[in-house]
Amino acid sequence: MPTDTKRVRGPEVSQSPLLFVSKPATALPSHGPRTDGRPRDQVDVRPVFVRCGLVSQAKGSAYIEAGNTKLMSCVYGPRETERKDETDMKCGRLTTDMRFAPFSCPERGSWIQGSQDKDLSLMLHESLQPAVCLHKYPRSQIEVNVMVLENSGSVLAHAVTCASLALADAGIEMYDLVLGCAVRQDGSSYVVDPTYKEENSCSSASSENQGGLTVAFLPSLNQISGLQSDGEMTEETLTAGVRTCIEGCYKIYPVIQQALAKAVRRAAPPPSES
Amino acid sequence: MATVQVSEAEKVYILHGIRDDLRVDGRGCEDYRHTEIETDVVSNTDGSAKVTLGHTAVLVGIKADLGKPKPMLPKEGYLEFFVDCSANATPEFEGRGGEELGTELSNTLYKVFNNKHSVDLKSLCISPGEHCWVLYVDVLLLQCDGNLYDAISIAIKAALFSTKIPKVHISADEEGAKEIELSDDPYDCMRLNVENVPCIVTLCKVGHRHVVDATLQEKACSVASLIISVTQKGTVTCMRKVGGGSLDPESIFEMTEAGKRVGKALHAPLMDLLQQEERLGTKRQKVGFLG
Amino acid sequence: MAGLELLSDQGYRIDGRKATELRKVQARMGVFAQADGSAYLEQGNTKALAVVYGPHEMRGSRSRTLHDRAVINCQYSMATFSTAERKRRPHGDRKSTEMSLHLKQTFEAAVMTQLYPRSQIDIYVKILQSDGGNYSVCVNAATLAVIDAGIPMRDYVCACTVGFVDETPLADLCYAEEGGGVSSLALALLPRGGQIALLQMDARLHQDHLETLMEAAMTACKGVSKVLDEVVRQHLQEVSVLTGE
Repeated sequence: MPTDTKRVRGPEVSQSPLLFVSKPATALPSHGPRTDGRPRDQVDVRPVFVRCGLVSQAKGSAYIEAGNTKLMSCVYGPRETERKDETDMKCGRLTTDMRFAPFSCPERGSWIQGSQDKDLSLMLHESLQPAVCLHKYPRSQIEVNVMVLENSGSVLAHAVTCASLALADAGIEMYDLVLGCAVRQDGSSYVVDPTYKEENSCSSASSENQGGLTVAFLPSLNQISGLQSDGEMTEETLTAGVRTCIEGCYKIYPVIQQALAKAVRRAAPPPSES
Repeated sequence: MATVQVSEAEKVYILHGIRDDLRVDGRGCEDYRHTEIETDVVSNTDGSAKVTLGHTAVLVGIKADLGKPKPMLPKEGYLEFFVDCSANATPEFEGRGGEELGTELSNTLYKVFNNKHSVDLKSLCISPGEHCWVLYVDVLLLQCDGNLYDAISIAIKAALFSTKIPKVHISADEEGAKEIELSDDPYDCMRLNVENVPCIVTLCKVGHRHVVDATLQEKACSVASLIISVTQKGTVTCMRKVGGGSLDPESIFEMTEAGKRVGKALHAPLMDLLQQEERLGTKRQKVGFLG
Repeated sequence: MAGLELLSDQGYRIDGRKATELRKVQARMGVFAQADGSAYLEQGNTKALAVVYGPHEMRGSRSRTLHDRAVINCQYSMATFSTAERKRRPHGDRKSTEMSLHLKQTFEAAVMTQLYPRSQIDIYVKILQSDGGNYSVCVNAATLAVIDAGIPMRDYVCACTVGFVDETPLADLCYAEEGGGVSSLALALLPRGGQIALLQMDARLHQDHLETLMEAAMTACKGVSKVLDEVVRQHLQEVSVLTGE
């Protein structure tokens, strides 16, 4: 069992004091505007702030902030593969690693990668891989790291967006950007880009049609590269949810494009007109 | 996963066949391979099932242990999934080789069962906040020949069906200390309602069409597949794209529809089979691996 | 013996067997189609599955290659649900690593490895249900799997555990007997020549008794070998009927 000996570890069993608070009706209202003022049943993603190139050591990096969800991504490579026995002569390797900072969630996490992080890393890998021209990088490896600084919902969706931006910033050849969007279905209504509270709330009234859906989308190729849902939903809801997510992706597309253009302009300023 | 080498010519052959709704082994695009199910094969468990789907073989054992409920959900028991990709299935799984696939499979299973109706978790509660049943669902891969997800989900449903949890009685003494008593009668047990346990359908996109229950060869021809877990009523509890490629939205919609149809149709014969086996009772001849 | 009476005055054991009686052995060869050889073996309530891959080219690091014979690679693992209390890890703990090593030593003595220089033979054994005598059941299952793979062996390797209670050797211990503080001995035998492939005992036993115990173990192993021989013959008969020869 790998244990982290370098850090001071808390007691073996501890619980968040929030559990002992006498609960003031945790169930969020299932109609009316959302807590952050966005309307329900509309494709209204949180305003995003994105910036490229914040980590100077990495080949490419990006930071994204959507509401309170904050994450950063670094890209290293292409470089020689670590595992020599898996070197592919024709095709490069993409490795992804997504982690939560221990302070990112209401409950303290561990520094060691848990199975949830591994699962998210895998989803990230599957969402990014179709977009990267790996055949241009034979015998080499491209590493993508994502660190979640604050988890306020829709983490995977924003991680996909952020990682693809970092890949573009690193100058890795890609077919397209990858954008992510999440939807939470709650009974007959849905919320786009849900917050942490919305993701984890469950109104007991309507438990029939309830679940989350995350889509990774290549906008100019019109292809879905990642899809994941859980909970209980009918097929019609799912189909509608996928459409909503695609629409949501198009909403953030210009912001990402702009951030990328800005990064390029800064890296190679256009020759002055005069 | 066991690797198969498929040449370009073979790929074209498989692709053209699927275009005409005829697969290499003579199946149509939405047909499953020959499936065998047997429950109650390992007597050390509370419930077990062995499923073979073509050459894919899976063994699931369920153990019920006493545990403490999760602090967020004091009135519910919970399920733990573990997938053991043993070296028996393929030499690549030796040592830690199978761990990656194992976590991927078990994480998907957690998602599939992450809803209120699949298993009635409240019935697993013994005394709120203190004791509950924890069902350890251990999946053992014995042989891989494609379509692991479907085989595993069928085996889990069958194993949950056969699970017998002993009844317990709680007695409190004067000081309020509770004591748990296990029923002595082995027939005095609780059964789980598996009506809403979903089955997973994996659809593999090959060329412009999709196939159900792909073999390893067919899988090698496809870039992406879609996993859909469907309940008897047709509710989707989990959907996931796996594989390195991307899919176009229209084909995702088509595949969801097909997955729902196939999944729904899977439940009735499965339940029939399980009930038939149950009715045989002690007269049933256990075959196990000796058959 | 404290608590449990392992051998009654009438000479019967806990599960009703006589002292020298083996548990019922049932086996089947060729369980899986993909592996080169496979076998399933039940000895009482202990059930094991053995799979053989190879001989094939060396996998992984080439430095282990032997130029005059094949490398035998074994992995022993137990299903998480095989024991009464759930196991957390199927393999990789100290006990199963030791067991893997023992299996490797046993089969290095029995398989004619010099016929396959620079290659590797994988033997994977999985305990599905454990009720004592795990080592011997694994060896017996693996023997059948190796035969199924068509790899030449000097002889069957048959293994059996023997315990010593009340001056009497008990053949083929079950879990209850193993745990009862009995000094037990595991023996793997090549029955035709009477050669010993592996002998292991890690309990206290008076030197004078060792010979009787070994004698009993050998008889038990020979008993197992008869059953295995029957299984192989029957399997071959079935196969030859199917292939029409």
